[in-house]
Amino acid sequence: MDAERFDTLVATHHREIYRYLARTTFRTSEADDLAQETFLRAYRAHRTLPPDANARAWLFAIATNVAKNHFRAESRRRRAHAAVRETRNETDGAGPEGETLFNEARALLDTVVAGLPLKQRLAFTLRKVHDLDYDAIARSLDCSPDSARAHVFQALRKIRRSLNGSEFSLGRDER
Amino acid sequence: MMRKPSVCQKIEPELVATAIGDADTTTAARVETHVRACAPCRQDLARYRAIDSAVGAWRGAPAPAEELVGARLTSRLADLRRRTLVYRIFPSPLGPILIARSEEGVSCIEYLTGGSDFAHSRLSREEGIEALLDGAEVEALYRDLLEYVEGRRTRLEWPLDLRLARSEFHRAVLQATAQIPYGAVRSYAGIAGVLGKPAATRAVAQALRWNPLPIVVPCHRVIGASGALTGYAGNRVMLKQRLLAVEGVRTRKAHADFRIAREAMYVRDRDGREYCLPTCGSLAQRSLTELTLFAARESAEAVGLTPCTDCRPDLHPIARN
Repeated sequence: MDAERFDTLVATHHREIYRYLARTTFRTSEADDLAQETFLRAYRAHRTLPPDANARAWLFAIATNVAKNHFRAESRRRRAHAAVRETRNETDGAGPEGETLFNEARALLDTVVAGLPLKQRLAFTLRKVHDLDYDAIARSLDCSPDSARAHVFQALRKIRRSLNGSEFSLGRDER
Repeated sequence: MMRKPSVCQKIEPELVATAIGDADTTTAARVETHVRACAPCRQDLARYRAIDSAVGAWRGAPAPAEELVGARLTSRLADLRRRTLVYRIFPSPLGPILIARSEEGVSCIEYLTGGSDFAHSRLSREEGIEALLDGAEVEALYRDLLEYVEGRRTRLEWPLDLRLARSEFHRAVLQATAQIPYGAVRSYAGIAGVLGKPAATRAVAQALRWNPLPIVVPCHRVIGASGALTGYAGNRVMLKQRLLAVEGVRTRKAHADFRIAREAMYVRDRDGREYCLPTCGSLAQRSLTELTLFAARESAEAVGLTPCTDCRPDLHPIARN
């Protein structure tokens, strides 16, 4: 891949990579650092990427690795969990009255996702927010596509169970 | 919490897949059939769908400070790209050779001595760069270089990046040296003269001791005022003799060194537009400082020189034996 193609890659994908990392780390400053780390690694490796490779999936795989390294210590996960609680407190009540319940439900969802084991959280975000297929998720997480599918399933099951029993309403869509 | 019946437990993965749109039509149909008859699973399906829909709102949702983050990324990447050199090491006929380039151009050619790995390269000790082993691009440069060294190519039209020059003076010496044509030689003093610093002969020689781009910046074409080759790549004056021989420059052994066969070379006086026989006028007695010597008429004519109208090298060419 030449320099020009790399420029295009950065321009096309840096936002979604940053969003992915922001969603999985919950701290803007950390996501900023991790996104930089992702693209610096990508630059160092881009010459070996075959021309027909799926560059987007490749970038997500690098970002996932960067995030995994970042969260290697279990304590970091707890910190992420705490971070999202802080964020929630800061933003609570910000919206118009009618939106508050809805926002609370969303914030609760954030908290629950933040509390998921890392692999489940990454697989879930890659699948549901960034629409990667299971082969690409499997490459990112260095597992089989079946395991990737299982991570997403486990994540959803945990989310549902965590939300069950609370007065949870995701509002408009529940029937 | 009451345990679910086993049929419900078994179908849960399919139920989740259906809720989030991952299931194929057969699976979805199976799930639909099941939930029609099973109220708890119907409720679960609705909950999963609600979660899926709530998460859907995250798609394309901006993260905080995206502009700022984008600007910081661009600046860090630009810095890395400026610093990065990609290199590869080749087992050339001249010994192991390292070729490195930046995005701007070729920045280093190095004869490795003492070992053929990166640790033996000067690049490994260079500050402010990041060297990456890689390079299909470098591969193509090596092919050119090989053709050049074997005499099958007379030009290396590469963009050059002189970042490894140690100073402005060093850079100027490299640029002046790069102007010496194929098949020609000049003296260290001559280069000093070109730079307007006639007393800087030693400084020129010193600058060329660390030529980051040998061969392409042809320091092998710079010799002592006596006609002795004087030195190359440490103590490898043999290499200098070999590169000159490829270009048709004849030399003879002189003790531990070589000396060019001045009587077998055409001469250009300073910035003249003509080339002469070595015996023309008083040229034979002149110091090499102001002269450029050419191995062949073709080399002189390739840079636009015409035969001298007095000595007529075109009519009486130097006999080659």
